[in-house]
Amino acid sequence: MIEFIDIHKSFGPKHVLRGVSLTVEQGQVLYLVGSSGAGKSVLVKHLVGLLRPDSGRIVLDGRDITWLSEAEFYPVRKKCAMVFQNSTLFDSMTVLDNVALPYRKHHRLDRAEASRRALEKLALVDMEHAARRFPGDLGDGLRKRVAIARALTLDPEFVIFDEPTTGLDPVAAANVDQLIRSLRNDTGVTAIVVSHDLRSIFTVADRIAMIYEGHIRLDGTPEDFRRSADPVVSQFIHGRPDGPMKI
Amino acid sequence: MNAALERGFRAVGAPLVAVGSHAFGIYSVFAQVVMALLKGAVRWREVVRQSYLIGNRSLFFITVTLGFLGLISVYQVASQIQRILPDFTMMGPAFIQLMWREFAPTITGLMIATRVGSGIAAEIGSMVVTEQVDALRMCNADPVRYLIVPRTIASTVMVMMLTIYAVFIATIAGMVLADVVFNVSPSTFVSLSMVSGQDVVLGLVKALSFGFWIPIVAGQAGLSASGGSAGVGWATTRAVVASSFAVILLDFIISGIGYTVFDL
Amino acid sequence: MRNVLVGPVSVVGRASMGLMATLGGATMLLGRILRALLPPRFDRDEAWRQLYAVGVKSSAIVMVTALFVGAIMVIQTAFYVQRTGATSLLGFGVGFTVFAEIGPILIGLMFSGRVGANNTAELGTMVVTEQVDALRALAIDPIGYLVVPRFIAMIVMMLMLMALGDVFAIIGAALTADTLVGVDPSVLIGDILDSHLLDEYLLGLGKAFCFGVSISVLSCWYGLGVRGGATGVGRAVNNSVVANAAAIFFIDFVMGWIFPVGL
Ligand SMILES: Nc1ncnc2c1ncn2[C@@H]1O[C@H](COP(=O)(O)OP(=O)(O)O)[C@@H](O)[C@H]1O
Ligand SMILES: [Mg+2]
Repeated sequence: MIEFIDIHKSFGPKHVLRGVSLTVEQGQVLYLVGSSGAGKSVLVKHLVGLLRPDSGRIVLDGRDITWLSEAEFYPVRKKCAMVFQNSTLFDSMTVLDNVALPYRKHHRLDRAEASRRALEKLALVDMEHAARRFPGDLGDGLRKRVAIARALTLDPEFVIFDEPTTGLDPVAAANVDQLIRSLRNDTGVTAIVVSHDLRSIFTVADRIAMIYEGHIRLDGTPEDFRRSADPVVSQFIHGRPDGPMKI
Repeated sequence: MNAALERGFRAVGAPLVAVGSHAFGIYSVFAQVVMALLKGAVRWREVVRQSYLIGNRSLFFITVTLGFLGLISVYQVASQIQRILPDFTMMGPAFIQLMWREFAPTITGLMIATRVGSGIAAEIGSMVVTEQVDALRMCNADPVRYLIVPRTIASTVMVMMLTIYAVFIATIAGMVLADVVFNVSPSTFVSLSMVSGQDVVLGLVKALSFGFWIPIVAGQAGLSASGGSAGVGWATTRAVVASSFAVILLDFIISGIGYTVFDL
Repeated sequence: MRNVLVGPVSVVGRASMGLMATLGGATMLLGRILRALLPPRFDRDEAWRQLYAVGVKSSAIVMVTALFVGAIMVIQTAFYVQRTGATSLLGFGVGFTVFAEIGPILIGLMFSGRVGANNTAELGTMVVTEQVDALRALAIDPIGYLVVPRFIAMIVMMLMLMALGDVFAIIGAALTADTLVGVDPSVLIGDILDSHLLDEYLLGLGKAFCFGVSISVLSCWYGLGVRGGATGVGRAVNNSVVANAAAIFFIDFVMGWIFPVGL
């Protein structure tokens, strides 16, 4: 279970998170939505210790991880993986080496065995064919799929996907949705998915939370969102150009 | 067999081609700068601003580096003299002469290549990858004339002035050390008796050519930047290496010509 | 008026604040590197890869620089030797300056320009594209994975290139002695070998070791501290080479003071 409790975070004068509280139950897929710049990426980075809150607490499986040291965070990161918004593959390595790196570092496998397992993960996202290429030569969509494969190498219990389908064509996006669903169903992974993709949101989400002006505006089931009378929520869900939402 | 041969040719050929095209790129910027200077198309206001920036950025840096160089050179030379012929009268004049002829211009040139050359490449490189240079081209402003010519003039003047300052700083540092550690009085140490007009000219010619070439070499590196932050970093690195190397090469050429032709 | 008075003071003030911040940050980074070395907790594959990469990047430029350093020092020394008639001192003068003073400084500056600047650019790019955060998110320590292998590679390569560079400088000196100065190369090389310059040679290597430490620590520190996109990377590279040049002259001074060499 993941709990964010009253998180505040500012960058200089910019008060991005102004008291965000959010709970994700075991085995749930929570979709985090909100306009660009709302602070979705900022919020999820707190969970793996890449950012520290100004105030508030983060509790993972009942353990307060807010002020763990960098070294104490490493075990947390092994069970809580993150797919970055910009994929952030290592440019200097091939796709295969990118995915094999966690195996070599954490399982102390030799190169051949690490590569074999990395290929298995790449197969999950249909990327074995690009194993020998460099990330710089791939399009955004393909890079994103490699990043997903890399995040799954350590068989995490929790996975954060930061905009996993943005920039993907509809078929590839549907494949990622399918992957997230089967992760939940088959391995019981708990996931937070940052997304704008309305179709994925309504086909995969167990719950949705919308972040707006530094607060959670609405937190509920897809059904709650469809029926919401809140003008901001309904503007976002229906993608209307005008309405009360400040962009 | 054939494949191995081909790989061999590639391994030797690729760097040569790279150095060749790099040299050609520098030559082409050089030609454009000369053309602009001949036409008198110079933005003098920008020249003044760049001179101020170069001087302001380098003064502290040159004080530190030349200060240490002056201290250690005098310390080492004086320790030798103390052991073989404890007569320090020639040390100061010879030190000042050597500073003029060789170390003040060369080390100043290297420091400006490092400080200013990398700065020029970083600045112009960032403008290239953020397409500001293309925007300049769109309003018919030639980037070489607009960006590099003012920096070339400014740096030519400033490297000469900073070289004189460098001699001064190294001499002060050496003088203090000679006085404190070896009891050589400042009036013995500071003497221009060995510095001839030829030495002064040689030093200033070196400074002038370093100052002229550094912005050309560094600006060319900046203009050929491509591809985001990695491209800017790479261009900046290339500017430092290429402009430092240009200083060493020019120093060799000028010293060589000076020694063989003019007996300097 | 006020500006005229406050200007220089605040420039010096700001420079010394920056110096303190750099020294403090770099010292802390060095501490973390040393802790990762005892007991060794770093990526050996990556260390080998860096060793190779640093060698490939810097060998050619250091060798060529060394050739010219030897050549320039012969010309300058010949000038004095000719005036004073002390021809026997040519070999000693060239060998001393090349091994102990000018050789290490110029080779160090070139190494800093090529390898240090490149390192700052690489790490800075990894920071702004979030690749360093990605490493942390994979529970991989950036110090052990990125910094320590570079630290080792730069120290080892700096030492090797200095040892080799001295040879190339002698070659450059011999060639120039022959063509420009009119001294037989075998005489010059014989003179240098007879001048008992082992101490100078070792001092040069000692300096190279310290340059390797300072170049790797400072360039990593500036690289990891990059903020703000492409402009930030360019600025960091600029600061990194400047700090390294200042460090090289400072180290040169301190080492020369602690280990006096010569006749
Ligand atoms: N490291 C940072 N430094 C300063 N500002 C930041 C930083 N990270 C994010 N921000 C700011 O926080 C706000 C939210 O960013 P982000 O979480 O990336 O938005 P999104 O919801 O689109 O993911 C943005 O305005 C961004 O400029
Ligand atoms: Mg985001």
